This record gives sequence, C-alpha cells and structure tokens, in this order.
Amino acid sequence: MRTARTTRWLATVPMAALAVATVYPLVFTTNVALKTRHDYILDRFAPTPAAHWDNFAEAWANAGVSQYFVNSLIAVTCAVVLLLLLGSMAGFALSHLPFRGSRALFLACLAALFIPFQVIMVPLARTMTGMGLIDTYPGLILAYVAQFLPFTIYLMTSYYSGIPADIVDAARIDGSSVYGVYRRIMLPLGAPALLSVGVLDALFCWNDVLIALLLMPSAQHRTLMVGITSLRGQYSDDIPTFAAGVLIAAVPILVVYLVFQRQIADAVTAGATKG
Amino acid sequence: MTGARLLVRSESGRTSSSTSINRARRVRPERLAAYVLVAPSVLVIVGLRLWPLLLGVNFSFTGDGDRDGLAVGLDNYAELLRDPVFRIALRNVGLLVLLLPVAVAIPGLLATFLYLRVPGARLYRAVYFFPAVLSPVIVGSIFTLLLAYDGPVNAALKTVGLEPVDWLGDPGVAMFTVAAVHIWATFGMALVVFLAGFATLDSTLIDAARTDGAALRQVIWHVIVPGLSRTIQFVFVTTMIGMLTSMFGLLYVMTSGGPGGATYLPEYYIWIQQGQMNRPALASAASTVLFLVMLVVGLAQIALLRKATRED
Repeated sequence: MRTARTTRWLATVPMAALAVATVYPLVFTTNVALKTRHDYILDRFAPTPAAHWDNFAEAWANAGVSQYFVNSLIAVTCAVVLLLLLGSMAGFALSHLPFRGSRALFLACLAALFIPFQVIMVPLARTMTGMGLIDTYPGLILAYVAQFLPFTIYLMTSYYSGIPADIVDAARIDGSSVYGVYRRIMLPLGAPALLSVGVLDALFCWNDVLIALLLMPSAQHRTLMVGITSLRGQYSDDIPTFAAGVLIAAVPILVVYLVFQRQIADAVTAGATKG
Repeated sequence: MTGARLLVRSESGRTSSSTSINRARRVRPERLAAYVLVAPSVLVIVGLRLWPLLLGVNFSFTGDGDRDGLAVGLDNYAELLRDPVFRIALRNVGLLVLLLPVAVAIPGLLATFLYLRVPGARLYRAVYFFPAVLSPVIVGSIFTLLLAYDGPVNAALKTVGLEPVDWLGDPGVAMFTVAAVHIWATFGMALVVFLAGFATLDSTLIDAARTDGAALRQVIWHVIVPGLSRTIQFVFVTTMIGMLTSMFGLLYVMTSGGPGGATYLPEYYIWIQQGQMNRPALASAASTVLFLVMLVVGLAQIALLRKATRED
C-alpha cells in the first residue's frame, strides 16, 4: 500500500507539469492579446502592465472577425439542426423499423465513417461546382452534413437501440402513426443523445478549416477559422490583435466545453465502448 | 406491454384471414415510413460520401490540363512516385506511424494514473481534455507564437542553458514539432476514451494484484493491458486516422508544408495540387493512395493488436 501511495505522489509531478504545459499556451496568448503593440515588442513574456482591451475591439470590428463569426454561426447552426434531424430519423428507422436494406445502410454508414474528407474532396468540389453550390451556404452546410452524418446516425442508432420496442408498439396500438412515434416519443426520449452528438457536431463544424477553405473561397464568406488563418498575414506586425482574434474564436469553444464537458466525453466514448 | 399487444391483436383479428390482412396493412405503412425516414440520409451519404469516392478513384486515371477527361492509365500514380514532395509526404506518414505508440502510450499512462486516483484527478481530466476540442487553427496559431525563434519556448531553453531550436524552420525538426503539437492537442481525446475503458474494468482484479504486492508496471502489463485490449485497439486506429487526416489545419497555419516541403503530408499535398496547382486528377490519385494507406495501416494494426492481446 505504501508503494501505491508513493506512485500516486510520484505521478503527480509529471501530471502537474503536463497540466501547466496544457494551460500555459492559452495563458500566454491571453497575456499577449492584452498587451499594446509597444509592450509586446519590448517584452512578450512579462505580464501585461494594464489590460488593453482595444485589441479585441480592433480584431472584432476592423479585422472582420465579427463577419467571420456570423458566417460560422449560420453554417454551424443550420448544419447541426439538419444533422440532428436526419440522424434521429435514420437512427429511429435503423433501430426500430424492419425494412429491406437496413443492414446494408448501417454498414454503409460505418464505411462512410472511415472515408476521410481528404479522400473525396476533389470530386466533391467538382460536384458542388457542377450543382452551382460552390461558395454558397447551402453547399457548405450540405458538405458538413455529409461529413458528420455517418457519426451522428451511428450514435443515434445505438442510443435508440436501448429504447424498448414495447414503447413503440404500445404507441402504434394507441393509433399513433410511425411519424407520430418519431415526433412524440423518439425525439423527446432521444434528447440526451441529441444534445451530446449535437454539441460534438457543432464543435466539429466550428473547428473545421479544410471544408470551408475548399467550398467557400470568397473573402466575405470566410468562416471564423478560415478568417483566423487570413488574419495571420494581415496582422503579422500586430501580433496582439492577431492573438485577440484567435481568442475570440476560442471563447465559444471554451464556453461550450465548460457547460457540456460531460456530454462531449459521452459522445466521444460512445463509439469506443459500443464499437 | 407484449401482453397488451397480443390482446389487441386477438381482439381485432377474429378470423385468421382478417389477421393477415390486418398485418399486411400494418407492415406496409411501417416499411414506407422507414424508407421515408432514411431517404434523406441515404441520399446524402451515397451522393456526397460513397459516390465521390468512386468518382475520385475513377478520376485519378484521367489527365489534367490538356489531357482533361482523357484516360491516362497509371500516369498520375507514376508521377506521384516521381514527385519528391509526395515522397516526403509518404515518408512523413511513416514517421507518424512510428510515433503512434507514443501517442497512444501517453494518454494510456495518464489514464492509468487518473484511474488510480492521483490527487486532483478530476481537474487534470478537465484540463487535459480541453485542447482536444480546440480547432487546429487555434492550436496552430498559438503554437506559431510559442515556437517562434524568439518565442517563449526558446527563451525557456535559454534560461536552462540550452541552444535555441528553429522549431518550424529547420527541415529536420519541423515535422516532429508539428507532430508533437498534434499530440499535445489530441491526447485528451484518447485519454477520455481510455477512462471510459477503465470504467468497464473489474477493479477487484487490480486491487487483488496490488494486495499481492504487484508493482505498478506489472499491474499495467498483466491486468490493465489485456483487460483493455479493445479500447487500446480503438485508440490506436482512431489516433492513426487523426494523424493522417486532421493535421491539415496545423500544417496550413504553422508551416504551409515548409521548410522546403519537409512537413508535407498526403492531405496537404492533395490540397495544394487541387487548390493551388490546378491538378485535380493528380490530387485524386494522391487521395486514392491516402485511402489505401489508411486501409492497410488500419487493418494491419487490428491484426497485430489482436495477435498481441491474444498471447496474454
């Protein structure tokens, strides 16, 4: 038992060091973002003498971050709503309704889960161009839905599989249509899974850079992450403003993380424990 | 509930023929509804995931530019093999595969410590997991500041008397730097998966081993590893997929593939050929190679790990 306790305390040192290594980059960036350009050039490490919030205002208003932020918000919101709608519909059908090809569909979902975007991005960009969807919100939203739908369906199907068939049968006997069962039973009962997978889908879409870079080329359509990459060149001589822009992009993620940490972990681990 | 259903069935179906009509009527709308419910998903997945894969493979056998649309056989693949930049990209994939055990062992060990209730475990877990939900763009932006030649990392090295390192400008170092940042940013994901695996472990086994006086190393090797074989397998495969497909943001922000192409990965090569060089067919060939590499490495890993965990 003594060895166990020693091991515990020995482990504390590297673990605390790693925790510092995890937090420090964010602390450093925050400190930089609160400095004036002058202070930054003089000494980039020292704690800022006075919080200089102007950098955030500059990044938000003049660097175009507010526009990028709104663009991302539009794309992510629409994509997540569609993902949850399609994912819960398909998950309900796959888990509770017998139909020809249901197994094939589930396998196709699993297969699609392992097709990375990089592998299909060239033909996808051509298809989108052909449909006139390049550089449009519907195109980007559709691409996000296609990218994260297999994962969403997979999680919703495994969650709904845990709901007893009797509940569905009883509602059907009470005269409810299949759609009624979906709307009045499956959607409310699926709320915890919808929340988990929705939060994770939102993070995936919010954090994406490759899909947006490929499908939304024009400057006024930049999503927040694409905008941040362009900020780097734009503000190469004004690092504090750049740092402020980066932090603005990170704040929604931090808030979502603090509120939904458990749900995110649930969604991440669902694939591991059930697969 | 089943009883109630039987009751209703026998009530409504007075004769056997009316029961079967009733059932047929009931099955049809159910089937139809199922198809209606899955139709949009099928359309999206087939149309925008599976079909493009085939299109892409097909497209990789056609030409670019003047030869647009013409069948060129394996020309694109031959060109890939000749291209030194693509070779670097493949070599870097090899490097990542070699780093894979490290990327799995770090979260595995940390999860073990957390599971054994290191003081402050909940806080550690929350802190470690946070970078995993940050965008690669944010992570990359922060680390370009940290790893600048005159940045804080080198300043720290200087205070302990070490020479500064050109983290992102030295071709021999840059790929390791980006890979390390990627591991920093994603180990929390694997950690959480490991912790979920630990929750399924039989803790009495571990307690028994420890009261028998087994060292931590022995407990890990003989109790935890065999007990978590499926979790370990899952983490290996997902970590590898992450390394091969989610480093684009870091590369784009931190190195742009440089210096001198030293940090190219297939995904970055595909992007450059498609977006900048206007060589979509060549990019498709690179996509196909990436897909095959992932398939092979993934299957090989599963086979190897199956064998390794069966021996115990």
